[in-house]
Amino acid sequence: MADVFEIKNLYFAYDANDVIKGLSVKIPEGKVTTLIGANGCGKSTLFNLMTKNLKPKSGRIFLQNQDISEMKIRDFAKKVAIVHQYNTAPNDITVEKLISYGRTPHQKFGISSDRKKDEEIIRHAMAITNMTKHKHKPVSKLSGGQRQRVWIAMALAQDTKILFLDEPTTYLDIRYQLQILKLVRTLNEKYGMTIIMVLHDINQSLYYSDEIIAMKEGMIFAQGKPENIITANLMKNIYGVNPEMKEIDGKPFILPMEVSYV
Amino acid sequence: MLNKTKILLAYILTALLLLILFVYSVNTGSLKISPVQLFKGLFIAYDKDVATVYDLRFPRIFIAMLGGAAIAVSGVLLQAVMKNPLADPGIIGISSGASFVSVIVTAFFPLLYKLTPLFACVGGCVACALVYFLSWKSGLSPIRLILVGVAINSMFTGLMSAFNSGTGSTYSGAASIVNANITQKTWDDFKILVCYTAVGLLFSLIVTKYCDLLSLEDKTVRSLGMNVTVVRLIISVIACLLSSVSTAVIGVISFLGLIVPHIARLLVGSNHKVLMPYTMILGAFIFLLADTVGRTICYPYEINAATVMSVIGGPFFIFLLRRSDKHNG
Repeated sequence: MADVFEIKNLYFAYDANDVIKGLSVKIPEGKVTTLIGANGCGKSTLFNLMTKNLKPKSGRIFLQNQDISEMKIRDFAKKVAIVHQYNTAPNDITVEKLISYGRTPHQKFGISSDRKKDEEIIRHAMAITNMTKHKHKPVSKLSGGQRQRVWIAMALAQDTKILFLDEPTTYLDIRYQLQILKLVRTLNEKYGMTIIMVLHDINQSLYYSDEIIAMKEGMIFAQGKPENIITANLMKNIYGVNPEMKEIDGKPFILPMEVSYV
Repeated sequence: MLNKTKILLAYILTALLLLILFVYSVNTGSLKISPVQLFKGLFIAYDKDVATVYDLRFPRIFIAMLGGAAIAVSGVLLQAVMKNPLADPGIIGISSGASFVSVIVTAFFPLLYKLTPLFACVGGCVACALVYFLSWKSGLSPIRLILVGVAINSMFTGLMSAFNSGTGSTYSGAASIVNANITQKTWDDFKILVCYTAVGLLFSLIVTKYCDLLSLEDKTVRSLGMNVTVVRLIISVIACLLSSVSTAVIGVISFLGLIVPHIARLLVGSNHKVLMPYTMILGAFIFLLADTVGRTICYPYEINAATVMSVIGGPFFIFLLRRSDKHNG
């Protein structure tokens, strides 16, 4: 199995403090990979480095064997779509219009070279995310879960094979959380997209990921299949909690019972 | 949702109002001429009254319309770039920066008269850059931006009036900029204004898509493959060009770039492809209205259009400020 991303000996610092300390990792193609770790472990920083929002102090990040620091931001956007955690849009913009912004990397001065293709892709993005019936509504009138689906649809309109999601379930209640995670699985299984996301909920990352990258203090602590690496020991090490491990349908399930103070 | 009919109606009504106001404005003052007489005088046979009006009143009216459009569009652009509905070239000091430089150029290098707008533009850009850098603190907070802008504005305004008083107001060209006086404008002034603003207005229509995208979070815009900083810079320069050139010709006008885009958004929505052209028409209308009201309200004395704008704009600004407080919680 090929790797979409390969990171070699990455360093990054805000001011004098190293946040990422010589990190190397490979991310497999065609899988759902989830970054987990405690607050301040550097997973958001890694996310931003991989999406060209930050520049590494040293080390290199390769996207399909191409150094991303040498890629134009537009070319990067044709290969990688990103749904950020926090989003805003004008009050009166419609769902369809907002989703159409996803075509931006394929346009020049907002002028499309292939209008038919654009429309087809936008229609498709709305269909997958189940937003077609809302397409004329203003985004401001949607529920939190629907709004998140619009942002995902916008990213899908970029027509990329790789999708990044930064804590896509954070502001949502449990039902919408599950909707979004199901959608993520569908994008992976049915459309073959490589998904890389940051999640806070351990059980959700266990259930919905193929691969987990656990981070601690700016380094990779463990990487592998969820059932192999999520252990009581790992929980204690990266989060400082003593969980109770259960098994449901052959998959581990975690009940974080008590906090351990080190 | 705003439907197409409503938008079309807004366009047609505003254009119609502008036309009516234009005819009224041409016909207001010591010389009275009817529209028929005007038409004949302009296109068919020479008419002494019409010729006088053409030389004295027309330039002023056209300058008011074009300047109004330019300042209003500059407001839209700044609001998009700064993500701040309160940004206005007058309030945040771009106009006074431009104005200060034009005053200096007019006073000391009168031979460079035709190039004054270019120098004004440099002044405007400097003021804009100052506001940016001084209010940037890991993001632009709307209120901090306005506060810094107000400070920059007072500084340049102060420098300007200091210069004006210090030289005993002997430089009449400079004084007319300080006082934002558009009574004595000629066709030459109009030509200067047209040269520069036409370019700016054209560019403003090209960047509408980018203005739309800037309403999203910066990170999101970047993930769509756009270099946010470069886009910001380009749009800011266009905004500075428009407001500075207008300032060089008609003086500092506050609140116009604030009021017009705000009303425009209520009527035609925030899609810049629709908003930008509409703002031009509405800007022309509102500023011509301010000028015409100033001319007629206490005839034969005149009140500056800039003064009229400030009187109307101040309360409106406070109203917007209070509303935005509510929105931000």
